[in-house]
Amino acid sequence: MTDEDDDFDLNELDDAELVEQMHDDLYDGLKDEIVEGTEILLERGWSADRVLNDSLVGGMQIVGVDFRDGILFVPEVLLAANAMKGGMEVLRPLLAETGAKPIGKMVIGTVKGDIHDIGKNLVGMMMEGAGFEVIDIGINNSVDEYIEALEQHQPDILGLSALLTTTMPYMKVVIEELVKRNIRQQYIVMVGGAPLNEEFGQAIGADAYCRDAAEAADLATRLIDERRGLHA
Amino acid sequence: MEKASRRRSGGRSGRVASRQASAADQLITFIERKIPYYGVLDDEALELIEANADIVLAEIGIDFKDDPAALALWKTAGADIEGERVRMPKGLCRSLIQATAPAEYTQHARNPQRSTIIGGDRMVLAPAYGSPFVRDLTHGRRYATIEDFRNFVKLTYMSQGLHHSGGTVCEPVDLPVNKRHFDMVYSHIKYSDKPFMGSVTHPERAQDTVDMAKIVFGDSFVDQQAVLTSLINVNSPMTFDSTMLGAARVYAENNQATIISPFILAGAMSPVTITGTLTQILAEALAGMAYTQLVRPGAPVIFGTFASAISMQSGAPTFGTPEPSLVLMGAAALARRLGVPFRSGGGLCASKVADAQAAYEAANTLQSAALAGVNFMLHTAGWLEGGLVMSYEKFMMDTDQANMLGVLLKGVDLSENGQAMDALREIGPGAHFLGAAHTQANFEQAFYRSTIADNNSFEQWEADGALSAEARAHQKWKDLLAAYQAPPLDEAIDEALIDFMDRRKGSFEDQDY
Repeated sequence: MTDEDDDFDLNELDDAELVEQMHDDLYDGLKDEIVEGTEILLERGWSADRVLNDSLVGGMQIVGVDFRDGILFVPEVLLAANAMKGGMEVLRPLLAETGAKPIGKMVIGTVKGDIHDIGKNLVGMMMEGAGFEVIDIGINNSVDEYIEALEQHQPDILGLSALLTTTMPYMKVVIEELVKRNIRQQYIVMVGGAPLNEEFGQAIGADAYCRDAAEAADLATRLIDERRGLHA
Repeated sequence: MEKASRRRSGGRSGRVASRQASAADQLITFIERKIPYYGVLDDEALELIEANADIVLAEIGIDFKDDPAALALWKTAGADIEGERVRMPKGLCRSLIQATAPAEYTQHARNPQRSTIIGGDRMVLAPAYGSPFVRDLTHGRRYATIEDFRNFVKLTYMSQGLHHSGGTVCEPVDLPVNKRHFDMVYSHIKYSDKPFMGSVTHPERAQDTVDMAKIVFGDSFVDQQAVLTSLINVNSPMTFDSTMLGAARVYAENNQATIISPFILAGAMSPVTITGTLTQILAEALAGMAYTQLVRPGAPVIFGTFASAISMQSGAPTFGTPEPSLVLMGAAALARRLGVPFRSGGGLCASKVADAQAAYEAANTLQSAALAGVNFMLHTAGWLEGGLVMSYEKFMMDTDQANMLGVLLKGVDLSENGQAMDALREIGPGAHFLGAAHTQANFEQAFYRSTIADNNSFEQWEADGALSAEARAHQKWKDLLAAYQAPPLDEAIDEALIDFMDRRKGSFEDQDY
């Protein structure tokens, strides 16, 4: 991109041009520009819902496709997701006011005994990129800490992460406690981490095993849609 | 042609017996290096990295998580403590290590003839470590069980090129998390007589390992001699967790060896450059090794390096690429300058099956490690899929490679026989050397003979079933396992071990964590 291309005022663009520019700005990971574009569209009377779907989600879908196809690299997606998060922070209170369904909320954390968090952080990043609100409760979480976070944040999704063969069985401990408390059905439980597989996810009673961060975000969106369809 | 004087060898039966001698009977306890180290950094470059690592330790610091006792030790040693962050003054770690850590040490095996020496010009090879899954051609990919664990201990015992039984040769996920270490340690003792590694997943499990070793070797022997070498991973970047610190403390207190291994997938857990990664590796290893010397001065400790990279496109770990080979060569040189044994290398690969990708990625790391000067090579055999899978077929392919490394490092024979002037004189121009007296005297050991490669004609290969390397390896491990015979174990020791395990297992509930 030349300096000349870079030098313009977002306010001068019409709606269609601005949405297209925001798709490009998301792709380039420009958080300030995304926040500005979001605000401009709101000022022009767009509903928060429409801004979210047309400019942000639409843009991140392009990012997701190019990440999957190996055109975009992880550090670039990180910036794009961060820009998305900036836009979401402007929209979230408005979405709540209008009663529009938020994309979804997730509590995510690494299980007890495990302090590995790079994979979990990548999942969080991709989830935010897909418009989810992510509450990251960090590493080394006991059952009680998960339950407390669920009660406090009332998420749609609980994400459990483990890197070690010695800690992955703890996911089962968490899920069994949810069952025991009769709250298992309130949440979509997603599990992930290198030593897991589909069979393990099923065996411990998770709703989904996610092989990587991009898959997690796709699956989460699909599972939420299914659930909402079910409860509609 | 002059008639060579020959002796009777027992005809067919004698020859067959001598050529099929069991590898397990041959006592080779390490590879002795006779060739120079291959380095990629000169002294000035290594000094720059050392200076940068000192800056990391002094200014950025290392986190010692959830372990007040470790912080207290550091405080006494003169480090600056802020929360869980430890900042070590310039040169502190290096001086602690150089004052007391041995340059090499003997790790005793229960069969004294299999005791090995780790450090100096030697290379000790051990199988892959830590995979939750196993794979073989018949059953595909599946979670590992204690039966698989025993199989790999047996196969390692019978592999001449592997000098060490390793540790978690695969994770027996069919056993409860808090008790599986008993069966793993027992399997190493029972089904092999090579030296082995201990449990590190909890300080208590490390202590159980030491207690079982005491049953085998005796209390006072264990206090004075290394009978265990165990793997302590750094939670890179720049973090030690309480599990690893606790296990390291138990082993060091008991004068047992540890391998302090920065665990790096560059790009995610270290900077994307070779120099930046080496700087972080050195800082982390210095901090961990110095910690063991604070716990017990003189406890053997190895400078470990597990360093690969990630795909910046997907985030997935990659193996057998050039940059980690350069890191490995740099780290080996840094360890030599420090004066401690060095661990790295292995048959690392990202491939899902024992195919061409698996073979070339593994060969890249194995060769680099051998040339760079690795003293203890974990993950030598069996590794697939970034370490998630222990493969029976890949294991056999890798042990073939391991045997080759032994020949490579032996270097070049310059003796009178090696010069072969008599052969050159005898044959002269135009003839062939197959019948030369020198050839007759040397042919059997002259060239490494691969146990996996097929060098036959197309027609013979086809007649033999047109098998791939993986298929040939499949038959090899089945044959090897079928021929397994356990090394003798004193019955009283065996009973004492079983009794110890029964009592300990009965004293607390099974748990999945």
